[in-house]
Amino acid sequence: MHVTDRAAGQRPATAAAGIDLKCVGLSKSFRDFWMRPRVRAVESLDLEIQRGEIFGLLGPNGSGKSTTIKMILGLITPTAGRIAVLGHRPRDVATKRQIGYLPEESYLYRFLSARETLDFYGRLFRIPARERRERIDRLLAMVGLEAVGHRPVGEFSKGMQRRVGLAQSLINDPQFLILDEPTSGMDPVGARQIRDLIADLGRRGKTVLLCTHQLSDVEDLCDRVAIMFGGRIRATGRCDELLEDEQASTIHTPLLDPAVADEVRGVLARHGLAPVTIERPRRRLETVFLEVVEQARAAGLETSGARAGGAVPDFLRGDERAGSAAGQAVPGEATAAADGVALSERDTAGRGADIDTALLDSLLPDAADDPSA
Amino acid sequence: MTRQPERGVRHRWPSRPVVVRARWAGGAAAALAVAWLIQRAGFPAAAAAVAGTTALVIAFAVGLFAVQAALGGRSGITSVARTVVDEAIRMRSPLVLVILLAATLPVLPLLLDPDERLAYRLQFLIGWTLGGAGLLLGLLTIFLACGSICGDIESGRIHMTLAKPLRRWEYLVGKWLGILLYDLLLVVLVGAGSYTLVQMLAVDSAADAADRDAVSRQVLVARRSLAPGPDRPQEYAAAIDAAITQLERDDPDAVGQEPDRVRRRIRREYERRWHTVTPDMETTFVFSGLGGAADPGREVQLQVEPRVSNVDVDLADVRFAVWLNGRPWPMEEGVHRDLTLPSRARHVLDLPNDVIGEADTLRVRIANRNLVPPGETRPTAITFPPGDGMQVYVKAGSFEGNLLRCLALMWAKLALVAAVAVVAAAVFDLPSAILATLVFYATALGSEFFQDALGVYNVVGESGWERAASRIGFAAGFFQAGRFYEGFRMLLGFLADGVLAVLPSFAADAAISRLATGMMIPVRDVLWRLVLFVGLYPAVVGLLGWTIFDRRDLIRSSS
Repeated sequence: MHVTDRAAGQRPATAAAGIDLKCVGLSKSFRDFWMRPRVRAVESLDLEIQRGEIFGLLGPNGSGKSTTIKMILGLITPTAGRIAVLGHRPRDVATKRQIGYLPEESYLYRFLSARETLDFYGRLFRIPARERRERIDRLLAMVGLEAVGHRPVGEFSKGMQRRVGLAQSLINDPQFLILDEPTSGMDPVGARQIRDLIADLGRRGKTVLLCTHQLSDVEDLCDRVAIMFGGRIRATGRCDELLEDEQASTIHTPLLDPAVADEVRGVLARHGLAPVTIERPRRRLETVFLEVVEQARAAGLETSGARAGGAVPDFLRGDERAGSAAGQAVPGEATAAADGVALSERDTAGRGADIDTALLDSLLPDAADDPSA
Repeated sequence: MTRQPERGVRHRWPSRPVVVRARWAGGAAAALAVAWLIQRAGFPAAAAAVAGTTALVIAFAVGLFAVQAALGGRSGITSVARTVVDEAIRMRSPLVLVILLAATLPVLPLLLDPDERLAYRLQFLIGWTLGGAGLLLGLLTIFLACGSICGDIESGRIHMTLAKPLRRWEYLVGKWLGILLYDLLLVVLVGAGSYTLVQMLAVDSAADAADRDAVSRQVLVARRSLAPGPDRPQEYAAAIDAAITQLERDDPDAVGQEPDRVRRRIRREYERRWHTVTPDMETTFVFSGLGGAADPGREVQLQVEPRVSNVDVDLADVRFAVWLNGRPWPMEEGVHRDLTLPSRARHVLDLPNDVIGEADTLRVRIANRNLVPPGETRPTAITFPPGDGMQVYVKAGSFEGNLLRCLALMWAKLALVAAVAVVAAAVFDLPSAILATLVFYATALGSEFFQDALGVYNVVGESGWERAASRIGFAAGFFQAGRFYEGFRMLLGFLADGVLAVLPSFAADAAISRLATGMMIPVRDVLWRLVLFVGLYPAVVGLLGWTIFDRRDLIRSSS
């Protein structure tokens, strides 16, 4: 039986050395051709993201998430309010050197190859040629495109383009990453890798603004979240506080004998705790999918698509959290308990922050092979 | 946990540059082989066309590598510029125009009528290749610039680019620079291609000796033209002043309203009178600035386009005697011959160097020797209309130098078109941007025509002020008469006048027709237009565009 210590999965408070993003009273209304205000996309939005924090910005379609991000990037001028990114105005060029941005869709030059695409963005950061080449090699390896780096991006599938987009957002070793729906269009393997990558970046002290519809991603990754609707923030707070169910507890055990289960029920009943549900936990489809893909890969089947990603390049510097969450050889998924019964207080084992992402691709199959954890 | 080797992917793509170079080399070799086969089959002209196309394509590839290398730096501007060049060669629509260019240029000589005089064929070839190429490159520039920038904005790529440390003006300048260099490459290729074609055609057999002479002395050459001055300038000026004074005394009302206009009219009248050789008079035309001893090997030509005055016969011959610096010319067997030439036609007469000597000034004295037409008692007068009627040409440079100046002008115009297209694309969405730039391009090309058309249909005046004054006068008259539509139309002319005054003219330099007629394109013209079209106008237009683009919300028009 293991009960995950939730405190171990949290980022230490010391990471919050400063405020990387501050928006005060931010509003944006779009005007039509005759300059009449047409849509109020964002209304008096206040937002503050600490350094080293992974912040989730949630909301249904059209709630103003992307507009907010574009204002933070200086692509759209706010109608009212102020923005400070890393202490400067959004249009400040020095600020942009520290920012990595992945838009909600992969807008790439179809006629450039993956390598040329990264080279183009690298040159915009004035990265010297040799360093640029090295970074591109590592990033392509990380997103699993090193074998197809010379093919034009126009021939890529949506997910492969997404990987190029992700790689370009990291070319400058940004302090502040803005990721708009990073897992959209990705296969589950890729989505998983991106989650692990974000967690890893968080551990390196990077600040991440994550905007996504994948609530499980947010749950796994984010320190704090804000939920937008109609251009306003309707709820905000620490992820664990928002999610904690204060009315229930779960206990994980190996598979229970029916007799033992009745006994446990009896014990709990004596303490007045009823009703109690005891059931075998379901594996997540994601886990099964990843197992199948890894088996195929191990069998040596060919693919012209994206390969498994590689290690996070070490040019992505950061003050790696010392002794981060000891014992976190525990894999990301609760596969260890696959054959057991989970009386779960909360399934925190899926929290990506606890995964050793040094070798992303080989991580999950090993976990599946090793159910003894 | 260690990373497992990926056994799944066995093939590796060769690096793109290697593939590209191999493709280029293979294609070139194949094309040359085809050219050789055609040559063997007995079609040398077609073989030359294929080989020429291949040479153009190879030169294009080499030039492209050079441009890409030149843009290899890691500044934001050059990075954006390089991507435009990549776009130009890898996206379909700009590439189609270049292929069209490469395919049509070498075929043009095949379209020429071989029975035509060689000098005319050469002139056609020069005009067609450079004129056609200029037009195609203009369109290419517009489509490339608008497509690239509007495409970036429409697709959202610009979000990724401008989220990087790149200022918006750097983005615009980068796009412009990329197109500028790509245009430079294409202009150089067009120049090289048409020069080769001209040289190939020039060795063709000429119709006769005069034709051969015309090729070398009137087409493949660069000549200065000199306008004549009066023989006794002081007396001439005094006569005009006297005439003006007398008119002011005799008829003050005629002069009072518009004195400048009357003075100009009198001057024109005198000029025309002076250019007319009456039966009983001789006239001397003085050309100064021939170069003199400083330029001993010079070639001097006299161009005349005579007209027969005061007679209804339109195409009669004129007959006159000529003295050059006081010596009779032409002399045949010791006799001074009269010249008999068809009127209303342009004649270029080569003047002998020994007659002119090393003088800096040439005095051409002309005596009327016209016959007496039937029903008349006197011979008719001969007029050499001011302007084209009487000019002296002096060889001033080579065809090659002139071609270079012509190409520089072509590139300068493309640079301005590119700047306008970039700005239009930064402000409007795709179809509107292309349309706006096309309107600009057409207006700049047809500026002279529009100016003429407006002059004819609206008001006539020497200066802008004069035109404005009469325009207001006419409009007031129309409004008083209750003819509001005409009055409004008259005022609308201000708009057209304003637009034409602000827009540059692309035809004013007459570069291609000067090149084809062997007339020198003045270096000063070229430099001035380079300053205007590559510097001043783009700066002004760019500043305007940047002001809007910098404030623009970069979202798709649909969102």
